[in-house]
Amino acid sequence: MSILTASGIRKSFRGNTVLHGVSLTIDAGEIIGLLGENGAGKSTFMNVLSGTLSPDAGVIQIDGSNVQFASASDGLAAGIRFIRQELSLMPSLSVAENILLGSLPKRRGFVDYTALRRRAAEILAEIGASHIDVDAEVGGLRLGEQQLVEIARAVSQRPRILIMDEPTSSLTAHEVEQFFGFVRRIAAAGTAVIFITHRLSEALSLCDRLVVLRNGTLVAERHPDEATRESLIVDMTGRASLFNYERRDDVRSQEAALEVIGASDGEGLSDISFQVQKGEVFGLFGLVGAGRTELLEMICGLRRCARGQIRVSGADAQKDRRGHLRAGVSIVPEGRKIQGIFPQHSVRWNLSAGTLRRTAKAGFISPSSEVEAMTKYRTELGIRMQDPEQLVGTLSGGNQQKVLIGRALVNDPQILLLDEPTHGVDVGAKADIYRIVRAEAAHGRTIVVASSEIDEIRAVCDRVGILSKGRLVAVLNHDGMEETAMLTHAFSHH
Amino acid sequence: MLLRLRSTFVTALGLREASVAAMILIVAAYLTYASAYFPEPRNLLNIGRQASVVGIVALGQALVIIARGIDLSVGSIIGLSAVAGAIVARETGVQGLSVPVALVAGLLCGLFNGWLYTRLRINPFIATLGTLSIARGIALLLTGGIPVTLSGFANFLGAGRIVNIPVSLILMVMLAVIFHILATRTVRGRDIFAIGDNPKAAVLAGIDLRGTRLFVFVLSGLLAGLGGIILAGNLASADPNLGMGYELDVIAAVILGGTSLSGGRGSIPGVMLGAILMALLNNAFVLLGISAYWQVVTKGLVILLAVGLDSIRRDASETD
Repeated sequence: MSILTASGIRKSFRGNTVLHGVSLTIDAGEIIGLLGENGAGKSTFMNVLSGTLSPDAGVIQIDGSNVQFASASDGLAAGIRFIRQELSLMPSLSVAENILLGSLPKRRGFVDYTALRRRAAEILAEIGASHIDVDAEVGGLRLGEQQLVEIARAVSQRPRILIMDEPTSSLTAHEVEQFFGFVRRIAAAGTAVIFITHRLSEALSLCDRLVVLRNGTLVAERHPDEATRESLIVDMTGRASLFNYERRDDVRSQEAALEVIGASDGEGLSDISFQVQKGEVFGLFGLVGAGRTELLEMICGLRRCARGQIRVSGADAQKDRRGHLRAGVSIVPEGRKIQGIFPQHSVRWNLSAGTLRRTAKAGFISPSSEVEAMTKYRTELGIRMQDPEQLVGTLSGGNQQKVLIGRALVNDPQILLLDEPTHGVDVGAKADIYRIVRAEAAHGRTIVVASSEIDEIRAVCDRVGILSKGRLVAVLNHDGMEETAMLTHAFSHH
Repeated sequence: MLLRLRSTFVTALGLREASVAAMILIVAAYLTYASAYFPEPRNLLNIGRQASVVGIVALGQALVIIARGIDLSVGSIIGLSAVAGAIVARETGVQGLSVPVALVAGLLCGLFNGWLYTRLRINPFIATLGTLSIARGIALLLTGGIPVTLSGFANFLGAGRIVNIPVSLILMVMLAVIFHILATRTVRGRDIFAIGDNPKAAVLAGIDLRGTRLFVFVLSGLLAGLGGIILAGNLASADPNLGMGYELDVIAAVILGGTSLSGGRGSIPGVMLGAILMALLNNAFVLLGISAYWQVVTKGLVILLAVGLDSIRRDASETD
């Protein structure tokens, strides 16, 4: 039985058409995977279904009768919940308060805290997240746990249609498993689930039906049994393969560009030693919380190296971030919105932010070298934009990431650190980024890639170091990068 | 033609600056019609002199706010540095000392603010609120609450004229040009915008967060010291209550000029226009003979109008 039918939905912004007449029927108890590159129109479509945006043309029917949502609250009233990637939690309130905010249980006009905590604990148990303490302050939780709290809040309102945008992006493997169990249970109870994801294997294993959007058009609707990763990539991009690793025999230059010797930060990381050769791409794999980001921070000088040594091209590393930058270590951080871009400034401004000091004359910016850098990286990295003065915040995620990579490369670093370089980036841009990484390595740059995606490590890395709870447990060659072996090592200290 | 003229006007100035400039033109047009005295050069230069202290102090404040800080202590620094300059001049008998002493006093106050913020990690709102009270208290203690007379070079800065143009106005224009170049053409200027827009990204890009923050607070203190000695020089007397409430006019001028209170956005020409608009309003009330109390209300309304229009427009562009 269908809950919602959307037909011929069109939407354009300032003359730019984002949806060209998309139609979709959602049945009760169905799990639909919504796939597509960034900019394909997934979010716009979901915003229309949930009432946040009104369509320019097209009809939405709920239970067979036409509806016109004027705002998101109309969508909520109709039982449609849309959980976006950007979380909307109150960081200084407790988990229980966040889950039931807006419908706090009351007794004689006061909040009934006993009922509140019991109710919140029940909901957390329902979504398979009973390990989260209902009294904890939300701001102190890991990102993945916050994501689960957000989901619990939506579930507490018993939605008929639950739409989730990349809900698993920060969850650990164990949490993902628990969470999938929950999704199957609510679907069995009659809730329709729409699941937006970039992780194709998750979509294939969880969903009843896969829907692919490309440039605002619904291009494919498939049963997971008749789809493969490869066929889905073709559906999404119109191209065949994402990226194939190519071995280079000239990598082993035997010149150590980066040496980490018995390094500890006095907190999570302990006694880490490895070497990366010049021109090599070295991967860092591990579960969430294994210390990948912390290790990169230590290498680039943002985190103190309490014991041990970090040597760059044979010289002892400096003590702060600027010293490391001078020694030729650049980083593209995880979470580009928070740590990376300058959102109120132009693409040109963002690109040159890393290099001003090097090209400046007596403290004055050299405009010609700014323009030069801009033109060079715009073509070399394939940054798609209208013009260099466009605000960087208006670019797509993949293009923002390329701008950040450009900013790191402008300095001509010997060592480039990339932390989750393709997090939240569409498939096309992902392939571009892999190509850039391999090309830079071929020019003799040393690259360290921290990633939680096994496919990504296998596509770009020559070797991989596997971290487990702050320790380096194994270093594998490309031939040894078997999925099971990598996961076994990653779990070894858990 | 008119449309093209309008659009070049807007691009040259930026939207917010253009709306402040339009407000200035409207007020000026009305005053020309309402008062025969308004368009006389003597009055116009007088407005310029009145704008100069707010304008000079606002230059430093603008950089602080662009870097995501705020300096509430400028009004008190004005008072303290004027008093310090006047007392040293009186005690030593060397009137020429008043200006350098005032500048050093302002600089030290700025250094103190910067130290509280960057070393003790006190939020700048709280840190400068503390300095606001401490600096005013010291000014009162030094003088026992009684104004100190002042003459010499400070007088020239505050009340002097070169070819009939007030010295303080010339000083403001020169400083504005220097600060505009600092903000747009130098690495330090870029750093200030960068740490205001996204401090974490700025650190990763190798920008010295502490040093840049310290720099803007020191500059703000230094300029408040200069403002203080100009103001005292104009009155030929350093009152320990000098500059009380000035922080509001200064911050208002900065915000009117299109600077974002959440950092990362702003321009020096805009801030200058903001300072001129504030001085023009003061002048209007005097010329039209309206109660000074209304003036206080109107200043508030003008700020709400300018900033309100801006955020309504921004909301509209965000929702579509």
